[in-house]
Amino acid sequence: MRLHIPRVATALALATTLLAASACGGDSGGPGGSSDDAGGKVTLRFTWWGSDTRTKLTQQVIDAYQKDHPNVTIKGEFGEWSGYWDKLATTVAANDAPDIIQMDEKYLREYADRGALLDLKKAQGLDTGKFEPDTLSAGEFDGGLYGLNAGINSFAVVANPAVFKAAGVAIPDDTTWTWDDFARISAEISTKLNGKGWGTGALGTNEAGLNLWARQNGESLWTKDGKLGVSPEKTTDFFKYVLKLRDMKAIPSAEFTSQDMNAALDQSAMATGKLAMSFIWSNQLLAFSQASGQQLKLLRIPSTDGKAADNGSYYKGSMFWSISSRSKHQKEAADFVNYLANNPAAGNVLLAERGVPPNTEIRTAVTPKLKPADAASAKFIQDIGKELGDPSPAPPVGGGQVEKIIQRYTTEVLFGRQAPDAAAKAFLDEVNGELK
Amino acid sequence: MSALGELGSLRGKKTAGQKRDNLAGYLFLAPWLLGLFLITIGPMLASLYLSFTDYNLIQAPKWIGLDNFTRMLSDERLHNSLRVTFTYVFVSVPLQLAIALLLAVVLDRGVRGMAFYRSVFYLPSLLGSSVAIAILWRQVFGTTGLLNQLLDLVGIHGKGWISDPSTALGTLVVLNVWTFGSPMVIFLAGLRQIPSMYYEAASVDGAGTLRRFFSITLPLLTPIIFFNLVLQIIHAFQAFTQAFVVSGGSGGPSDSTMFFTLYLYDRGFGNFDMGYASAMAWFLLVIIGIFTAANFLLSKYWVFYDD
Amino acid sequence: MTTETLRTTVAARRTGVVTWARVRPLVIHVVLAASALVMLYPVIWMVVSSLRPGNEIFRDPGILVKDLRIDNYRVGWNALTEPFTRYLLNSAVVVLGSIFGNLVSCSMAAYAFARLEFVGKKFWFAIMLLSIMLPIHVVIVPQYILFSHAGWINTFLPLIVPKLLATDAFFVFLMVQFIRGIPRELDEAARIDGCGRGSIFLRVILPLMVPALATTTIFTFIWTWNDFFSQLIYLTDPHMYTVPVALRGFVDSTSSSSWGSMFAMSVVSLVPVFLAFLFGQRFLIKGIATTGIK
Repeated sequence: MRLHIPRVATALALATTLLAASACGGDSGGPGGSSDDAGGKVTLRFTWWGSDTRTKLTQQVIDAYQKDHPNVTIKGEFGEWSGYWDKLATTVAANDAPDIIQMDEKYLREYADRGALLDLKKAQGLDTGKFEPDTLSAGEFDGGLYGLNAGINSFAVVANPAVFKAAGVAIPDDTTWTWDDFARISAEISTKLNGKGWGTGALGTNEAGLNLWARQNGESLWTKDGKLGVSPEKTTDFFKYVLKLRDMKAIPSAEFTSQDMNAALDQSAMATGKLAMSFIWSNQLLAFSQASGQQLKLLRIPSTDGKAADNGSYYKGSMFWSISSRSKHQKEAADFVNYLANNPAAGNVLLAERGVPPNTEIRTAVTPKLKPADAASAKFIQDIGKELGDPSPAPPVGGGQVEKIIQRYTTEVLFGRQAPDAAAKAFLDEVNGELK
Repeated sequence: MSALGELGSLRGKKTAGQKRDNLAGYLFLAPWLLGLFLITIGPMLASLYLSFTDYNLIQAPKWIGLDNFTRMLSDERLHNSLRVTFTYVFVSVPLQLAIALLLAVVLDRGVRGMAFYRSVFYLPSLLGSSVAIAILWRQVFGTTGLLNQLLDLVGIHGKGWISDPSTALGTLVVLNVWTFGSPMVIFLAGLRQIPSMYYEAASVDGAGTLRRFFSITLPLLTPIIFFNLVLQIIHAFQAFTQAFVVSGGSGGPSDSTMFFTLYLYDRGFGNFDMGYASAMAWFLLVIIGIFTAANFLLSKYWVFYDD
Repeated sequence: MTTETLRTTVAARRTGVVTWARVRPLVIHVVLAASALVMLYPVIWMVVSSLRPGNEIFRDPGILVKDLRIDNYRVGWNALTEPFTRYLLNSAVVVLGSIFGNLVSCSMAAYAFARLEFVGKKFWFAIMLLSIMLPIHVVIVPQYILFSHAGWINTFLPLIVPKLLATDAFFVFLMVQFIRGIPRELDEAARIDGCGRGSIFLRVILPLMVPALATTTIFTFIWTWNDFFSQLIYLTDPHMYTVPVALRGFVDSTSSSSWGSMFAMSVVSLVPVFLAFLFGQRFLIKGIATTGIK
């Protein structure tokens, strides 16, 4: 067989693509990117993930902003969580990223450390003066601010009073309870419900559980300089505790837990009323309440010594506003982010859709308008304000995968396929391997 | 001459000596060639290049030679994903094809109502991988799901089919077999193309149903069986969507449904390691290529073409 | 009724006893009906779920429920930034363009591979198969860069033009197999009648490969209609979103989702594909075969 490869054409196609692939950081903006329209008009692209509720509210804010700023057009792009990140990565790779990006802590440093995000401290017209001080640090590292907190969140225990009632157990005092209390109460509920429900969802289905565990023991999942900060010993203790919950039947079976890890929020055991307690982020209270049809309650995370102030809680950014470093209209983008964060009109529309507003003035203004569940999570955030530990550093580059990794090792431990110490070691090794 | 004999004589015919097809050949191939050089080849070669680099999608790729490939040798999760993928290919492809063929033959009758069944049997394949379907799987195969409720009725205590590492892959195989609609439709189309004169002749010869199936249907359907086999193997090696949807992208529980392509995706987009993902993809291409080449070589012995 | 069943029925009547041949159609129907239920369950479940308030779907699963309402359809239709009609239309454009592209370009390439002898044929055929062996996830980024340089992002071109250029090797290969099943004598006869390559293709091959063309149409319709990843990546403006991209706009894995709307619109989006299949499968039955009798 004779091979007739039109070499020139191949070489051309290859060269074009490769040049383009390696041109990141060079000239900016594909045709899909932001552009100057005729007459000094500016078009900004703004992307977020979330359901139709968030999309509707966000679009309202965009419309209001455009009315005040006739020279600016903002194109909103909505999407669902997992596709959102694939798309963002692809557009960033092609130098075609949206100007304003709704960012998550998981990927914040992934993009920021590689220069894809703008340092908001250098952005003109962005005011953070009214922000609760602790809320800025989550988006701050290496001396820059790469993500502006869009809503405050805290890891918490959520309780379903109806299930407590069905089990005939009183909701405990969360300001004094310890991990032992937590296990005992959960086991008691499971016993009383006798297969119809369980005391609590497993710890270890989310890296925040380990982080709090570490923080209560003087460590931290991540360090400020982007390393793992938790020791094999504490991680082993953590997995041992998970195992203890299983053996006491405080949590459902391993199969059940492993199934629940990846269930949609509404389909999860907590949302369907099978659990008395579970671990959630405080801004999910509304979603869980709606799904379960119950008025759920937030409780503080238990501590080792029975003092709530020692439970290691911190304010996390439920999500962040970031601006692409390759945006051609950084000033306009910053102005819009400023509007989202500080303008009462925007605050009154968005309310607590992305979490409790970190701007204290906005928070005070919107609190009376919140739905009961959102009001409850806002109150919870307010209440624990006095008990917070140090801010928790954002995961370093490569740390975004830690949730999936800890889920896997928790599954191994729950199924009895790995002992806690082996799982702890393997977990830490794997996470270290991911860091870059 | 009997119909079967006639079939045999057709087999031998081969028209040769068409030297002046070059121009016509390339003219008919022109759209495809254009697509190849303008759209397909560039990105493919780019990914080949990227497989020799450290590329995090955000910064420019850095050439690291064979590092990605040597890393694959010691990556245990990758080895596990290969095991999972091979198991899936070897179990689910034959099962799915057998069921698709059987149903195609059964449904390929003029009997009243068959159009209805054809449509109904294709339904699961219509649903694709929508979010709704992901929810449904959990509803059916979950610990307290429909399947277990049914099993409870007959006194069997079920388990969490998709959440137990020992049964999760098997459940995915079942799900895949369940969407046999596409190969079934292709088989149906293939059956449609078998000239009915063969059957008529065979009836005259007094051949029974089974005999007709094995001596007419099966041989004349071999090009289509071959097509389905080749393509289903390629698809099974690239299996992604079902595992992604059912495990929420985690390949869990405990990596038991971590298909090769799912792991590749996880590395590329989850871990921003597109260089490594590209290396994995080209490794997969070699595996699939070997299987496909073997399929083509073996096809000489069992696939019958009318030309 | 086919000649076969006619013959068996007559035979059974003649003997006057219930024979296997007589019972068989019944047995087949019973088995088919039972399996049809299993196949139907998900669709029934989806339809029922779409008629219930979103937050009840999970608390009380199953399909035997009263109190069904169509609110989800009304709400879901207008829940996103555009009415759902817009997404249906966008999908329709992409689907129709893709079908046209695949039918024309793939059949041409397939004819070349199956019937014409030209230099380098085997090589190109191998390249064609190779082109579907790479997972999309590693070619999507270079491809995006390519299309972005062409100025095609946020248009339907990256979704349709590749189909016009026969990049869907699946269908090329499928058609090759079908064309090779057509007796070559027919080509020869046409050639003797003075037909050139072009008219053999148009007058002999194409009419004889209607089942393959129908299959291609059905599959292209369904796969394009359901394809999520490339449509997600290439369409950025919600005006341009297609059905699968829009459907995911109802869901947020970390917060509240509008499951009711999502199920309702999923059912809506299922209607066109199901109709396409119902319509298309008639061409699979009609058949042509060489003698035309069935």
